[in-house]
Amino acid sequence: MGKKELKVAFLLALRSLQRGSRSSVILTVLIIGMCFTNMIFLPSLFNGIEQSITKQLVDYEVGNVLVSPKSGDQYVTDLSAMLSLINGMPGVERATPHYTEGATFTYRKRVLGVSVRAIMPDDEKYVSPLYTKMIAGSYLGESDTGEIIIGKPVAGDPTIREEDEFQPSLGGVRVGDSVTVAYANGYTRDYRVKGIYSTGWSQADSAAYVSWTDMQQVLGGQPLDKAHDITVKAKPGYSETFVKNELIQYGVADKVQTTGDLLSKVLGTAFQSFAIINLVSLIVSIIITTVVLFIVITIKTLNSRKQIGILKAIGVDKQVIMHNYGFQVIILAILGIILGIVITLLLALYMSAHPVVTPGWSATLYLTPVDLLMNSLILFVAAIVAGYVPAYQVSREDIQTAMRA
Amino acid sequence: MIEITDLRKIYRMGNVEVRALDGVSLDITKGEFLGIMGPSGSGKTTLLHMLGLLDEPTSGKIIIDGIDIGKLTDYEKTMFRLYKLGYVFQDYALVPDLTVMENVSLPGMLRLDLNEEQYRTASTDILTKIGLLDRQDHLPRELSGGQQQRVSLARAMVNKPDILFADEPCANLDTENSRIVLDLFREINESMHQTIVMVSHEDWHRDYFHRTIHLRDGKVISDGTNRTGSP
Repeated sequence: MGKKELKVAFLLALRSLQRGSRSSVILTVLIIGMCFTNMIFLPSLFNGIEQSITKQLVDYEVGNVLVSPKSGDQYVTDLSAMLSLINGMPGVERATPHYTEGATFTYRKRVLGVSVRAIMPDDEKYVSPLYTKMIAGSYLGESDTGEIIIGKPVAGDPTIREEDEFQPSLGGVRVGDSVTVAYANGYTRDYRVKGIYSTGWSQADSAAYVSWTDMQQVLGGQPLDKAHDITVKAKPGYSETFVKNELIQYGVADKVQTTGDLLSKVLGTAFQSFAIINLVSLIVSIIITTVVLFIVITIKTLNSRKQIGILKAIGVDKQVIMHNYGFQVIILAILGIILGIVITLLLALYMSAHPVVTPGWSATLYLTPVDLLMNSLILFVAAIVAGYVPAYQVSREDIQTAMRA
Repeated sequence: MIEITDLRKIYRMGNVEVRALDGVSLDITKGEFLGIMGPSGSGKTTLLHMLGLLDEPTSGKIIIDGIDIGKLTDYEKTMFRLYKLGYVFQDYALVPDLTVMENVSLPGMLRLDLNEEQYRTASTDILTKIGLLDRQDHLPRELSGGQQQRVSLARAMVNKPDILFADEPCANLDTENSRIVLDLFREINESMHQTIVMVSHEDWHRDYFHRTIHLRDGKVISDGTNRTGSP
């Protein structure tokens, strides 16, 4: 098959699409575009959900590496020494402890159970973007006592009646208001609400934060040298696994887990389900595209059998005839894929402005150039197979049979 | 130029055997304008298709320019048709999505010995000759039947084939357009010494042929020379 034959095959294909049935071309391109969108939309949304959950877990729960008490222990002990050790390790940006106490909040006539997390506010800034999520008031200071920041769902909305609330709240707490907090250990104190935050991560938003200093007072005024966990942020360029291995090598005896370890345990099954749904969606899309293109090209070839016979009669080789239809499929597939990419990008733009929001997480489409390229290639190969099979069959028909069609 | 020896074509329809060609032997010389005539089902088109390598005989031999075409491979036959033969069909058989110029240029585009300038010049020349150069950018559906048949003739002639085959080229044309087309055939035959083999069922076409053979039931029943070869 020489250059000249390919050129003629391309000319025949181009002219057939340019001057043939325009509605058929538009519909075929539209179907391919929709199949492409279908192929990439669901996996991208699931990827977006995965990314969102992972990011929120990293930001508000575990950092990159979580140090938690070893089996049988309730706390990570000898906290000061542990923090000094971890913060001095290569690859560690900052380690910050968390101590959580259950409490009952009372505001006017509303009573609500809330977890109160004690943090070291300045260190926490290195690990969590909580301080950037304040929607009213301000973030905690290192030595704040008697002041608390609460999540938006805890604060509640005064315009919504209690029976209409999605989840129980304090009914409309504002910055500066006083809430009474009764801890599980029996200690009760009034807090001034210093700020209200909204992270989009339900576990963080359903909690309240106080400073480490404040919690020391709650627990009797003794230095608080223990924590429920320590979250560790890795420096840019250092992997979670590297930091985990460093911690273990440096003799951290507590349980050390990366975000990946935790995700595979907590959400591994969900992510596997996502992967199965993605695969099913991909296979269905490929089958639809293949069948549609096969039908389109089969109808085209059946309608053109006489013309194919004539072309062969005047000396056009069967390879040229086959590639003519092959090129038509290639052009249709390229146009369909371009349309699909445009639709997908528009959807991604729309969803970045209007993300899918649930009480637990919010997600947008997570698209990478590799995803777009891989899906384009898969669809392209499927299209070529679908187009070339009928083209190959018809190009081999003998001239007499074709001309009599 | 063409030697046909004991050519037979038998179709089987269930248990019935149809002898479309039944022992045809014939010689056609270079520059001859041969008419093949006969009633419907006499085997005219079958013979033309055998000569034009569009169909294969059940038995017999066809030698064109010393080449036994029965021994050619599929690809060689395609190339033989491209380089050596030209066809004009009853229903014009133009590619509907190509313009007049593209239709005429198509065989030239595929020839390895012609570059773009050469086949464009050849196409322009032949379109000028048939008087349709001003319609070169039109699509076939924008032309009359007579014009389409002239374009079909131009496409068949653009590669300057050794032999031109025409299968009832005037069947869909009125008398006036038929005369225009036949005049073109005669002009090509005379000016280019072109061998032409034409199937026809119109008696008055015989006046254009140098020689006419009559077929009946797949056999040559007469083979006669027309002295004038003019209308």
